[in-house]
Amino acid sequence: MLAIILAGGQGSRLGKLTKSTAKPAVPFGGRYRIIDFTLSNCANSGISTVGVITQYQPLELNAHIGNGSSWGLDDQMGGVTVLQPFSSTEGEKFFEGTAHAIYQNIEYIDQQNPKYLLVLSGDHIYKMDYRAMLEYHKAKKASLTVGVIPVSTEEAKRFGMMNTDETDRIIEFEEKPAHPKSNKASMGIYIFNWETLRNYLTTSFSTNKKLEDFGKNVIPMYLANNESAYAYSFEGYWRDVGTIKSLWQANMEFLSPYNSLNIGDHNWRINSKAQVLPPMYLTPTSNINNSMVVDSCYVAGEVDHSILSQRVSVGEGSKVVDSMIMPGATIGKNVVIDHALVGEEAVIGDDAVVKGTVDDIAVVGYGEVLGVKKS
Amino acid sequence: MRHNTVSAIINLVEPWEKLEPLTLDRPVGTLPFGGRYRLIDFPLSSITNAGIQNVMIVSPRSGRSVADHLRSGNDWNLDTIRGGLFNFPYNDLSLIAPQKKETLIHHYYDNTILFLKRSSSEYTVVMGTRNICNIDLKALLRYHQERDNPVTTVYKSIDASETEPDASVLQLTSNGMATAILPADSENVTPNENHKYAKSLKIFLMSTIDLIDILKEANERGDLISLEDLMLQAVMQHNANAFEYTGFYANIHNIESYYNANMSILKEDNFRSLLYTQRRIFTKVKNEIPTFFARSSHVKGSLCGTGGYIEGKIDHSVIFRNVFVNRNSEIKDSVIMQGTRIGAGSKIEYAILDKNVVIGPNLQLKGTPEKPIVIGKGQRIFQQKEVANV
Repeated sequence: MLAIILAGGQGSRLGKLTKSTAKPAVPFGGRYRIIDFTLSNCANSGISTVGVITQYQPLELNAHIGNGSSWGLDDQMGGVTVLQPFSSTEGEKFFEGTAHAIYQNIEYIDQQNPKYLLVLSGDHIYKMDYRAMLEYHKAKKASLTVGVIPVSTEEAKRFGMMNTDETDRIIEFEEKPAHPKSNKASMGIYIFNWETLRNYLTTSFSTNKKLEDFGKNVIPMYLANNESAYAYSFEGYWRDVGTIKSLWQANMEFLSPYNSLNIGDHNWRINSKAQVLPPMYLTPTSNINNSMVVDSCYVAGEVDHSILSQRVSVGEGSKVVDSMIMPGATIGKNVVIDHALVGEEAVIGDDAVVKGTVDDIAVVGYGEVLGVKKS
Repeated sequence: MRHNTVSAIINLVEPWEKLEPLTLDRPVGTLPFGGRYRLIDFPLSSITNAGIQNVMIVSPRSGRSVADHLRSGNDWNLDTIRGGLFNFPYNDLSLIAPQKKETLIHHYYDNTILFLKRSSSEYTVVMGTRNICNIDLKALLRYHQERDNPVTTVYKSIDASETEPDASVLQLTSNGMATAILPADSENVTPNENHKYAKSLKIFLMSTIDLIDILKEANERGDLISLEDLMLQAVMQHNANAFEYTGFYANIHNIESYYNANMSILKEDNFRSLLYTQRRIFTKVKNEIPTFFARSSHVKGSLCGTGGYIEGKIDHSVIFRNVFVNRNSEIKDSVIMQGTRIGAGSKIEYAILDKNVVIGPNLQLKGTPEKPIVIGKGQRIFQQKEVANV
């Protein structure tokens, strides 16, 4: 089975945080980036060949993934390949949608010659053994299996919903329905029989070019053609972190020692690019409660129910509450940060106040400088 | 620095007896230090930062803990196509059986000579691990090249009052050359007019050809003499350049000095000058989760590694990775190594707890600054009376 991670999303709903980085490369949980969860799941599921399709701001993602060795994906036989759009003799290969992105990388996939193609999103927080899903796909003799997770009626309005029969066969697909008929939301995880999908894609793109997106076009097409499509139910922790609110929320959940994601589980490690940094330094005036702190942080102030990522410094007299601070951010003295996401390398000058609410999380952008006097 | 201009030898055959039980199953060079490092990380990082790619590690015993820490050398950028790390075990003469010793006469330095010949490097630097520093070896090379003497050695200027009697100090001439390295209490050595001693950091730089000659001569004489002693002889026999190192420095020779060195990097200035300069300190990377500080925790004035779970109070201590501190416990002025667990309500003061120690609930472990209490690797203590026997 070959895994393709769709890491192309510009993440425009994350606003200032993704101005110069792709959404999957957004920092999460103190020492991770969002894509670490999917990459680790692949490695832990014994998938040694992974293609990562990217389109916007690939620099940070490329630097992060490197040769894949941080996840044990620097395999002699396979490994991680970052796939980017390029201009070929037939024209520029930019991606119009998820299925189009797969089609544009058909040469890479053919090279691997997989029987099954696992298509994943690079922007979800979860742990999942894809082998179990493949077993299910084989047992059902399916042509397509879609990972689904139960959601409330309210949430269902922002997901693609799968309506199934009693054998879990998908009979109908509704994108963001006003009146959902089921609670099975698509997780953006698909297993395809590659030969079948390949036929559909090549036929479509040589004729009507309609199969641009999996949700919008491919799944409806599969259903219309009576392909055997099944829903595979997942019951663990899963979060889409595509908005400021959901990103903040998932970070706050991650902070809880009772989070069912269970990050400390040694049987399913989530790996990240390891960096050599000094240990965290907590001064005699520091006070940290109910918080996560990682290497190379410097804390002279107060940190309460918050996450500090690598190389974050918090000056004396400052207070960080209910917030997530991304790598390299510098917080001056007597600063108040409350209900906020602070972007990488941001600089917050002395006495500044960054205050949001649960419904309106304050955001300081990537590299943004706030309230620092120019000398 | 041009490729292979300089090779390096890190000599881990260093006195370890006074550091027991911390050195029972590791050489001094793999002693954990400063929250996430091993002593060998400091010379190795200096080597990496100078662009040196050809490194010989001389291990006293099997070198298991050395190989486990260094692996391919990737974490120090030393897994290159050319050069790299070469680990040579079983070099502690005091641990070699008499019959085996017989066969080593005239051959003890064969491997080192071979390593140096193959390195095709112009110069070789020889360092140990018990003098913690962050030295610019490029500057040392320039200093050496600008002068005519065959050997350059390194010192740190320290107050006479800070010198322990058996410390090695350089005897400097008025024009700044070293003529000898002697114990500080030797009658031939006196501090300078500012009451400073030139404490030897046991770092030596010389041309590779000269070093090969020295080793060959030692082989021919049939001397079974340690590399460090050979280097000291080289300084005595030639006029040596004396290069002054001015950064953070700590010497590890017994439990108290090991403890004090850890405590000294809790001072922010020392922490920054050792670990936060342009010359980074590299170490084996591990994939730990963030450290969680519970609502009840209160940690200040301390260094802390990742992967920890802290419920208790910690003040002025060095806490390594993956340490678990239960509620209502108190840790003060202590060094707690990787994987150690502290039971609820226990109080630890002036202590060194080696890796994977387990301290049960409601115990008191109290040493003094002069004599910190030491719990050996993997020990489990659940009764107060066991503490007394340590």
